[in-house]
Amino acid sequence: MSQNPFHAHIHKAIANPVLQAALDANADRRVQARKTAFTTLEEPLEVLRQRAHSVRAETIAQLDHYLEQFIANAQANGMIVHRAANAEEAVNIVLKIAGNLPQRNTKDESVVHLRGSRPLLIAKSKTMVSEEINLNAALEAAGLTPVETDLGEYIVQLRGEKPSHIITPAVHLRREEVGETFHEKLGIPLTTDIPTLTDAARAALRQTFLEADIGLSGVNFGVAESGALCIVTNEGNGRMVTTLPPVHIALMGMERLVPTFDDLALMLSLLPRSATGQKISVYTQIIHAPRGANESDGPAERHLIILDNGRAKLRGTPLNDALLCIRCGACLNACPIFREIGGHAYVGALGEHTPYPGPIGSVISPGLFGSANFGQLAQASTLCGACKEACPVDIDLPGMLLRIRAGLDGKTGDGRRRKENTSGVGLPFSVKLGLKAFTWAAVSPGRFRLAQKLAATFGRILSPRAEQIKLPAFTGWGFSKDMVRPAAQTFRKRFKKMDNPSIGEKAQEHVGTLAGWQVKKTTPRQQDSTLVNQFESELISLSGNFTPCTTETLSDAILTLLNERGIDEIMSWNEAHLPAGLLDSLQRAGIRIGQADQPHIRAGLTGALGAAANTGTLAISSGTGRPQSVSLLPQIHIAVLNKSDIKKNLRELLQFPEIRKATSTALISGPSRTADIEMTLTIGVHGPGELHVLVTQ
Amino acid sequence: MSTTIQLFATCLIDTLHPAAGEAVVKVLQRVGVEVEFPQAQTCCGQPAFNAGMHAEARKMAQHTITTFEADPAPVVVPSGSCTAMLRHGYPELFADDPTWLSRAQALAARTFEFTEYLVDEMGIVDVGAYFPHKITYHPSCHLLRGIGVDRQPRALLAHVRGAELVELPAAEECCGFGGVFSVEHPEISAEMLKRKTSNIESTDAPVIVTCDTGCLLHINGGLHRQEKRPRVVHIAEILNTTLLQKPFTAENAESAEF
Repeated sequence: MSQNPFHAHIHKAIANPVLQAALDANADRRVQARKTAFTTLEEPLEVLRQRAHSVRAETIAQLDHYLEQFIANAQANGMIVHRAANAEEAVNIVLKIAGNLPQRNTKDESVVHLRGSRPLLIAKSKTMVSEEINLNAALEAAGLTPVETDLGEYIVQLRGEKPSHIITPAVHLRREEVGETFHEKLGIPLTTDIPTLTDAARAALRQTFLEADIGLSGVNFGVAESGALCIVTNEGNGRMVTTLPPVHIALMGMERLVPTFDDLALMLSLLPRSATGQKISVYTQIIHAPRGANESDGPAERHLIILDNGRAKLRGTPLNDALLCIRCGACLNACPIFREIGGHAYVGALGEHTPYPGPIGSVISPGLFGSANFGQLAQASTLCGACKEACPVDIDLPGMLLRIRAGLDGKTGDGRRRKENTSGVGLPFSVKLGLKAFTWAAVSPGRFRLAQKLAATFGRILSPRAEQIKLPAFTGWGFSKDMVRPAAQTFRKRFKKMDNPSIGEKAQEHVGTLAGWQVKKTTPRQQDSTLVNQFESELISLSGNFTPCTTETLSDAILTLLNERGIDEIMSWNEAHLPAGLLDSLQRAGIRIGQADQPHIRAGLTGALGAAANTGTLAISSGTGRPQSVSLLPQIHIAVLNKSDIKKNLRELLQFPEIRKATSTALISGPSRTADIEMTLTIGVHGPGELHVLVTQ
Repeated sequence: MSTTIQLFATCLIDTLHPAAGEAVVKVLQRVGVEVEFPQAQTCCGQPAFNAGMHAEARKMAQHTITTFEADPAPVVVPSGSCTAMLRHGYPELFADDPTWLSRAQALAARTFEFTEYLVDEMGIVDVGAYFPHKITYHPSCHLLRGIGVDRQPRALLAHVRGAELVELPAAEECCGFGGVFSVEHPEISAEMLKRKTSNIESTDAPVIVTCDTGCLLHINGGLHRQEKRPRVVHIAEILNTTLLQKPFTAENAESAEF
């Protein structure tokens, strides 16, 4: 058998029953969830999909322009923007920001250890770019402590593994394995109860958020028109790492731009649906700037590192459209190959790991890291097209796999430069030789007929009696199936003996037409009659709580809520940003208003800029007197929303001018949640576990 | 009305499953179509194209284009996969060669998959078939997602008298054939095939219908290895049955009465 590590990994994956059960569950649930989520779109999926494709294609075609606009805006907003040509440069920028660049060889403790004598602590939310540049290893080598805070990434980091999926890093594990890992590493009693495991991670990571010197995140989209970073998470860890530590570093692939907020709204209607089957993720952050002069929280410094690492050179090549990817992972979930082998099996010819598995990974791994070693991944596909069908931006993944196989992924970016000598990338010599021989026969009808005759003779020798030939396993085909014996009489011979009358009159009487055959139509979903009703039902479906009230009943409603939970101290926005007299009446009723950064306080009271009815989303912008931690740190988040600020959808919500300039805006859709362990939904991870929206008339 | 088509039988039907080719001819004849079979035809070149061997694929594509250019009649292909090759693969192969590109596009414009030709071009959904058994349908990948043909075979099957069409669980999943893939990655292919055959078993349908001979040979080979009856047939073989209880006997086709 082949010595290729790829085959060895495949063999191991298929032989692992735990992995197989996990992958089956992932495929079955994610694919269904995605399809269900698409039934709630405002326009037909295909219309949105093609529009999204055009937006992304146009962005990539004009990438230099949009990058320039994006960077200029980000810098004007006060962000520090760095460009990294490759992984090494990106790592060095992070290390430099951390004041710990190895070649500087600093002995200055105050630089390395901002807070006391422990190593510099870096709280990370999920970023695949960080995996791509292998950042954790570099940070550890430099004496820093990176801690992954996404539950799935945290599990994987504790186990010393790599993520096996770009959205659900621990998809290869079952709860038993997570339980054992937490028992061993966190010292909790052995359990397979998913909420208990999630609580253990929450408790362990809470301290990390509060003590971290640097928060490091990825970026889902950069919005060129305002220089915004959009970061989408469910657990709340993304908000923690971009809000609490004094320094925030965002890592972003250079292609992840959209021109406008309307484009962002379009992408946000597709990304969470494709990724996790959610209409919208719990937290969609729109970040513009570091902490403002009068703001009480948020990082003092925000750095953005824009990584090339092979992306620019893909533009204009046959792999150009790989840059359209919005990293939703839908193609992984839809792929029958991924379902069998999982993410860890996708390795290069020398066994090198790639952070990008599945169909898109089989394109961008050769594209970014070279087809010499990763080109073989493109052969692990039946070209069934399930990936293209699942892709929310309609990337022709099978087409690009074919181009990699044909050696067309030219490095020079000069279009479709042919390199015939590198054709059949990833195939063994014997297969290529066979196909060359077949071609030689097939271009001549005489030789083809002779080959057919030989095949029939050979078939009868191999299997004189049975219709099916038992081929041995080493032939590949014979590994799991038999091969039908070539026909003694080919069709071309039989055809000559067939009559060819022009018509069979009797049958013609029964010929029908297509008329009367109905194409199945889906009935459009009934919209709720009013925006507030729709907001209510969406919020409730996200496990949020909805309370209608008036300005008179508002404080009583909040008091009831607090009294039921035995809470007498809350953190709050400044009274200027809440309905007049609200804080006064709460205080008169015995509620104390504490500091916004006190982690022991169980409830936070905020206003809200507005809401989107069709996704149950609240928009909360930060600013002076509106600390971000109030909606993030406490277990219970209470938000007061004015009924007239409820908009139809995300696109309309994003038109609030405040969102386009605020330091940070959190679009919040329900309490924090995770499904990182066996895709089992658990409410309340790092962000609030309870969300109460009080809607005033 | 007399229509003439050129049949591109495909190398798989020609060499390994000629019964499907005969059924295609008989069904087309029954609805009044005259069938020609250019004897120079061989293989469309998809195996080489999918392997990434474009030079070889181009030679076979040129041979196929030349073969079917001699006659202006439409080309009917009883395979979604080979139709996709002519429709999408050829233009990609000749993207840099304007002369061959226009010849490839001209051929692609008058090339139709078998069920697509019957339903969309001829407007026929009932070909007078009678098959009083449970059947289930496996939509092959290149037919379904490659050229977007799904309602056509389903409409034809819905008009087969006596047939009870049961939905195959996870019908749209690939069977794991994928040409060279099934040889290059036998272990993955085997797992995919196992899923497909166990889904087939769960339907109790004695017959599985598909429009692609690649899937047919692959699934039948798998069923036989698992010591089960290989019972995937080409859709033309069902459409060609017109006699009660005696499927697949071409001799009986004309004597059926409804």
